[in-house]
Amino acid sequence: MKTILKSALLSVAALTLTAGTAPAADYPDRPIGVAVSYGAGGATDFQARIVTMVAGNEDILGQPMYIVNKPGAGGRKGWNWFATEAEADGYMLSAYNIPHFIAQSIKGGVKYSADSFEPIANWGSDPAVVVVGKDSKFNSMADLIAFAKENPGKTTTSGAGLFVGHHIAALQIEKACACKIAYIPTKGGGAAAMKAVIAGEVMAGVNNLSDAFRAREAGNVKILGVADLERNEFLPDVPTMKEAGLDVDNSSVNFRGLMVKKGTPQEVIDKLAAQVPLMFENARVVKRMKAGGSPMKVMTRDEVKAMWAQRQATLAELLKGL
Amino acid sequence: MTQSRLQHLIPGALILLLAAVVTWLSFTQQPAESFLFPRVISIAFIGLAIWNFARAALGLARVGGGISPQIAMNILPGLVIMFVYVFWAAKALGFYTASIIAFFAVYSLYDPVPFSSVKDWIKRAMVTAAFMAVIYGLFFMLLQVQTPRGMFF
Amino acid sequence: MEFLSYFGGVFEPVSLMLLIGGTIGGLILGATPGLSPTMAVALLIPFTFHLQPTQGLILLGAAYTSTVAGGAVSAILLKIPGAPANIATALDGNEMAKRGEGARALQLSFLSSGVGGVIGVLLLIFLTPVLAKWALQFGPSHLFWIAILGVTVIGSLDSKSFVKGLLSGCIGLWLSQIGYDEIQGTERFIFTDALTGGIHIIPALIGLFAIPQVLDMLAKGRNPQTIASLDVPKYSFLDSVREMIGSIRALSIGTTIGSIIGLIPGVGGQIAGLVAYDQARKFSPDRNKFGTGHSEGVIAAESANNAMVGPSLVPLLTLSIPGSPTAAVLLGGLLIHGIFPGSDIFQKHPEVVWTFINSMLIGQILMVIFGIYTAAWAAKIAKAPMPVMAAGVLVLALFGSYSVQQSMGDVHIMLALGVGMFVLQKFGFSAAPLVLGLILGPIAGDYFTNGSMIAAAQDGPWVYFFTGPLNIILIALVIASIVYSFWSNMLQGSGKTEATGEAAQ
Repeated sequence: MKTILKSALLSVAALTLTAGTAPAADYPDRPIGVAVSYGAGGATDFQARIVTMVAGNEDILGQPMYIVNKPGAGGRKGWNWFATEAEADGYMLSAYNIPHFIAQSIKGGVKYSADSFEPIANWGSDPAVVVVGKDSKFNSMADLIAFAKENPGKTTTSGAGLFVGHHIAALQIEKACACKIAYIPTKGGGAAAMKAVIAGEVMAGVNNLSDAFRAREAGNVKILGVADLERNEFLPDVPTMKEAGLDVDNSSVNFRGLMVKKGTPQEVIDKLAAQVPLMFENARVVKRMKAGGSPMKVMTRDEVKAMWAQRQATLAELLKGL
Repeated sequence: MTQSRLQHLIPGALILLLAAVVTWLSFTQQPAESFLFPRVISIAFIGLAIWNFARAALGLARVGGGISPQIAMNILPGLVIMFVYVFWAAKALGFYTASIIAFFAVYSLYDPVPFSSVKDWIKRAMVTAAFMAVIYGLFFMLLQVQTPRGMFF
Repeated sequence: MEFLSYFGGVFEPVSLMLLIGGTIGGLILGATPGLSPTMAVALLIPFTFHLQPTQGLILLGAAYTSTVAGGAVSAILLKIPGAPANIATALDGNEMAKRGEGARALQLSFLSSGVGGVIGVLLLIFLTPVLAKWALQFGPSHLFWIAILGVTVIGSLDSKSFVKGLLSGCIGLWLSQIGYDEIQGTERFIFTDALTGGIHIIPALIGLFAIPQVLDMLAKGRNPQTIASLDVPKYSFLDSVREMIGSIRALSIGTTIGSIIGLIPGVGGQIAGLVAYDQARKFSPDRNKFGTGHSEGVIAAESANNAMVGPSLVPLLTLSIPGSPTAAVLLGGLLIHGIFPGSDIFQKHPEVVWTFINSMLIGQILMVIFGIYTAAWAAKIAKAPMPVMAAGVLVLALFGSYSVQQSMGDVHIMLALGVGMFVLQKFGFSAAPLVLGLILGPIAGDYFTNGSMIAAAQDGPWVYFFTGPLNIILIALVIASIVYSFWSNMLQGSGKTEATGEAAQ
C-alpha cells in the first residue's frame, strides 16, 4: 500500500508540475466524464451511453467516458452546474440539447448561455412530433387544429418542460395556426409526458420522435405530424407540419452532442473535435443507435458552431415578447 | 430545569426565525405560481414553529436532553476535522489523501489508549491503510467513480 | 404458465454466474451507506455492453433486487439507511440491534424481503395485463392526493413529540422546495451557489442519518468505558422463520402496500416502506411497541420495499413507462439492446423477458440465502471499535454523497444538514419525518402545479382534484388518516403526561 501510495503521489506530483505547461500533451490520461442534464434512462442519457461506449478504443481517445446524471428543471440544474462548478480541463464534458439550453438562456434565470460552452460534435437529431392517444378522436393535425380553434386554450398538450424542444414546437404550432393550446409541462421529462398522453390525462402531446416511434410500435399512440423540414426515415408515413399546412420549421428539432466549458485548452478542444466524430461513426455505435430507434446526425465542430449561431437567432426571434 | 428550558428555547427561537423568513420569502418572491406550494408549506411551518416555541417557553418541551457542555467538548475536535475535511481538504488535497488523513486523525483522537504507545500508532496506521484500500477498490476500481484529485490524489 | 418453459435460460452457466455475482455485489453495494439502488444499477450499465441482452438484464435485475434488500443491513446495524426505501427499517431494526437482537432483525428483514419480493414478481408474471390498465388510472390529481396521504403519516413517525414530528416534516417539505421549480423552471430559496441544484435526496439521506450517528459516537469521547461497540450474537434461523410466519398481519400489509405503490408510476418505491410501516402500526394491537424495537416494524417495511420491485416493472414492460427511477435505468438498459417494451413485448421477445422475470424470481431466493451470509459478515464489521466506525462512516459519507452527482456542493449540503440534524435530534426532533417531507415535497408540489395547469384548461381545480371515484377514495383515506392520527395522539397524550410526570418525580 505504501509503495503504491508513494508512486501514486509521485506520478500525481509530476502531473501537477507539468499541468501548467503542457496540459494537452498526453490528454487524455484518465477517464473522461460526460454530464447529462437529464435522468438516467431518458433518451439523452441512454443515447449518450451508447455513443460514448467506444471512447476507450485506442484509435478514438484511449480512455473511457463515463456518464454523470444531473437531472432537474428541464436541464437547467445540470448545465448550471457545468457552467459554474465543472473544471475546464477537458476531463468533464457535457451533453447538450439544442434548442433547450439556448432557449432557457434567452428566457433568463440561468447561469449559462451559448457563449459559456464550446461545441465538440453532434451525434443525433430527434425531431419533435405531435402524438395523441390511440383512441383519440383526432386523426390528423387538421382535426387537432380545428378543435383548438373552436376551443381556445382547452387543448391540453403535454411536453417535457418549459423552453425545451417540445415547448418550442408547441409555440411554433400556436403561432402558425393562430390558435391557443394549453401546453402542460410534466414532471419527469419526456417519458412522463408520453404517459400523460397514453393515459388520456391530456388530449395530445409533443414528444421525441424516437420515443413516439416506440410508443406507436407498442400500439399506444397515433403520430399526427413531425416538426421537421422532411419526413423522417423512421416514420415515412407521417407528414411534416408544412405538409399539414402549418408554417413550422425545424427550430424545435432536438440536436444532441457533446460540448466542453469555455476556457478549455485549445489543444484539448482540437483533439476532441477530431476524435469524437470518429467515435460517433463507429460501426458498433451506429448499430446500437439504430437498434434503439434513435436517429443519428453526426456533425463536426464547425457545423455545430454554425447551427448554434443560427438557433440563437431564430429562438431569440420566436421567444421575443414571451 | 431552568437550564433545560433555556436550552429548548434557543432552537425553538431559531426555528421560529427560519419559519418567519421562509414565510416572508414565499409571499413576496416572484413568480407567484412557483411559490404557491411553498406558501401552503410556510403557513403550516410558522404555525407549528409558534406552537413549538410556546411549549418551550412554558417549559413543556421535555423530549430530548439537549447538548451538555461535556458533549460539546467531546465532539468539538471531531467536528473541526469534519469541516476542514469536507469543505477544504477533500478538494484541495484530493479525496484519497484527505480521507487517509481524516480517518487517521479521527481514529487517533478518539482511540482511548494512551498516545505514548508506539504499537497502537502502528495498529491505527494499518487499519487506516486497510480501510482506504477497501474504499479505493470499491469506488475507484469497481465503480470507477472519478473523484477530485487536488494536489495529490 | 408460459414462463415455466424459460427457466432453463436462468440456469445457463454465464447467466447463473451473473445472477449470483449481481446478487452478492448488489447486497454489498446496498449495504454501503450512500449507494442507492438507482446509482448501483446506473453504474452497472456499462458492464452490460459486453453482454447479451438477456444476460445484461439478469445482471441489472439481480442488482436491483438485492441493493434494495442490502440497504437494510446498514439501516439495522448503524441506523444509516442505504436508500430512502430502508428508512422505516431503521426505526425498529436499529432498536433491536441495540438490544443485541441484530441477527434476528437482519434475518427477519431478509426473509420478509424475500417473501414480499417473490409475491411481487408473481404479480408481475400473472397479472401484468390487468395491472397495466390499473396503473394508468393514476393522473396528477391522484398522485397529489397520494403524496398528501404520505404527509399525514409524518406527525406520528418516529417521534416522541407530535409537534416536533410535524415541525420536522415541515422543515423537510420546505427543504425540498429549494432550487429550481421542476415545472416552471424558476429559482426558489437559493441562498448560496451550492443550493442551485436543490437538495438531492441521497446526499441529504446520508447527512441526516450518518452524520448524527458519527457525532453521537464522538460525543462519548475518549472513554474506554463507553467505547463498547455493537454486539450481534447469533440467533436461530428457524426461530426467525417461525416468527415471520407468525407475523402474517405485518407481512401481508407490507406486501400489499408495497405492490400497490410499486405499481403507480411517479411515486416510486421510496415511500413504500414508510407507508407500510405506518399502516402495520395502525392495525397492530401492539402499536405502542413500534419504534422501540418491534419486529413487526422491520417485517412490514422490508416486505413492502421488495414487493414493490416486481410491480414497478409492469408499466415499464407493457407501456414503456418507468414507474421508479431505477426502472427508468432498466428501460435504458433494454433500449440499448434494441428491445422496445410494449404490450407485445411478451410475444416479440419472450426469451428475453421471461428469462429476465424468472431470474428475478430466483434472484429473490438467492438474495435471502446470500443476505443471511452477508449479514453475518456485516455483523462482524459492526463490531469494529467506535472510533474506527466513526471515521469509516465519515469517509463513506464523503464518497457516497460525492459519487451521486459528482458535485462538491452536494457534499457540503450533506455535512451542513447532518450537523443541523444532530443538534435538532438533541432537542427531540427526528430525521425520519424530515426525510419523508423531503421526499414528498416535490411529488405533492409538482403534481399540484401540473394538475392545476390541466384543470385550468378544463373544468377548474374543484372538478379536477375533488371529483371522480379515485380522487374521492384517496381523499377519504387522507381524512381517515388525519382523524386517526389526532385520535391516537390524544389517547397517547394522556398516557404520556403520566409517564413524564413519573419521570419528573
